Amino acid sequence: MKKFIVAFALLAVTISLKGNVVPDDPLNCTSHVSLFYYDFCDTCGCSGNGGSMGFGTGLNNNFIGIRYIGQYYRSRDGIFANSPWIDENFNTLQLWTQIPLGKRIIINAVLPYQFHSREFANTTEQHIDGLGDATLLGFYQVLKQTPDSIVSIKPEHTLQLGGGVKMPTGTFDEANLEGSVNPSFQLGTGSWDYVLAANYGVTHRNWGLSLMANYTVKAKNDKEYRFGNQLNYALNTFKTYYLGTNFAITPQAGIGGEYFDKNEEFDLEVTDTGGNALFSRLGIEVNYRQYALGLSSMLPLAQDLNNGKVEVKSRFSIYANINL
Amino acid sequence: MKSIYKISVLIFLTTMLASCSDDDGTMELSGTGIVKIEFDNSVSGDDLILGSSYTNSQNESLTIERLNYIVSNFRLTDKDGNVFTYPKEAGYFITSEENGETEVVLMDVPAGRYTSLTFGIGVDQEKYLLGAEGQGDLLTKAESTNMMWSWQAGYKFLNFEGTFTSSTVTEATNFKIHMGSHGSSLDNYKETTLSLGSEAIVSEEMSPIIHLVANAGNILDGQNKISLSEQAVIMVSEEKSPKIAINTSGMFTVDHIHNGSGDAH
Repeated sequence: MKKFIVAFALLAVTISLKGNVVPDDPLNCTSHVSLFYYDFCDTCGCSGNGGSMGFGTGLNNNFIGIRYIGQYYRSRDGIFANSPWIDENFNTLQLWTQIPLGKRIIINAVLPYQFHSREFANTTEQHIDGLGDATLLGFYQVLKQTPDSIVSIKPEHTLQLGGGVKMPTGTFDEANLEGSVNPSFQLGTGSWDYVLAANYGVTHRNWGLSLMANYTVKAKNDKEYRFGNQLNYALNTFKTYYLGTNFAITPQAGIGGEYFDKNEEFDLEVTDTGGNALFSRLGIEVNYRQYALGLSSMLPLAQDLNNGKVEVKSRFSIYANINL
Repeated sequence: MKSIYKISVLIFLTTMLASCSDDDGTMELSGTGIVKIEFDNSVSGDDLILGSSYTNSQNESLTIERLNYIVSNFRLTDKDGNVFTYPKEAGYFITSEENGETEVVLMDVPAGRYTSLTFGIGVDQEKYLLGAEGQGDLLTKAESTNMMWSWQAGYKFLNFEGTFTSSTVTEATNFKIHMGSHGSSLDNYKETTLSLGSEAIVSEEMSPIIHLVANAGNILDGQNKISLSEQAVIMVSEEKSPKIAINTSGMFTVDHIHNGSGDAH
């Protein structure tokens, strides 16, 4: 895994060193680079961790695609300083799309399938798999980029405000709370949760910068468990290199943070929950005609999750989209 | 203007949806339930593993081989201050690390939201003075778990054994800490009250687990400092055993409460 991330970073650097020129006739260029990519962890049961949600929104960038997200954690199986660490792998396969609704409204939808696993100290393994929590978001585009302009002389600003719901399509199983202090080993939160989101982006020539924040208000599920509210934020920069008329490559680098309130059960705070994490992010998107292939990795810069009893090691995602 | 209107509608809708999801969650609690109390033995933050070594603040390295103690007379206090006292005739439990018996199960606890727990370490004089016939099965259990000297000498409230080394005792040497009341001449029964820091919710459907941590390091290295190099076998000691009784009663803390049907820890 680490080797892969290193190779990936090197690839990004190599590409950026090559330098690039904007194609002579940018209107012929069919690639549409995404401004906003969420690599946020949704609580998908993971309150501190777990199945990321992803929304790509951007320059007329309506798409449908699939994405895989792998998240690697370790958590204490027990309450003591010498309790064993167990490895937890969260795998999510998502069907994701963004479609316009009228001139100013865009709709984001994500349908995840989760397959998580963990191995206990006694080498027994636990697997859970099934549908995760589906998310439906609507954004109002307050500021919108000029249609079909890939390269503009002036900086182009984008501002989107919106919100939506995360539906309890993933199963929350109380039994998974046993054995480990990580309560996030779940397919879903089991509750209807509400999301408020804001995206801002600016592009100038082939450079871009994006700022994103969203806040998820989580409700109590029918097992009287309530995951803590969650704040995600991210800052990303990217540069697009056009290779001929059909190809474009966009390396991306940024940071992202997550903050979680403590969970509650029967309206009482659950010990060793909540926390925060800050990540570095490297990514790359390759566009060929209307097809996009993306890779991204996230490594923690600082973290304090579940009172130190859960540690995120890395996250990795790969996606393939068709721009509509 | 139109866009401002649209945004405000969106914000309004999301806020409304979000606020709908909160309810106050006051459940009707009725009937009785089971309360489990887990005595999770540790040594200064680490899980206690019999046979492994640790060094205390007096620079003595201890290898603990046995940790048994008697807990008794459980009382639960709810958030309104009402006290439920567990029936005395069923109120004595022997916990034993070597036998894996570290859980106390209280039956038929009335429904309520409990916020504090009181219990005794050992056997009180009132129980002891009932005589051998009044002990029920506690007597036979104590005999089978090395928690009895003899009926005249009484119960060992604590049986803490192993080996140790120190700067002056370089060969691994056995230590035995047997603390009790010594008949009726010296009363070492102590009680401790722990705030749960949360609520243990009991009802027909709800059986909470109160997860306690007992820090065995505290027995010799607590409020009172007891040096094994000075004396490695402490049983009937009018000077040292009351100090050990105080240390032992101070070794318990509440780690967390698990509310629910009582299946998961």
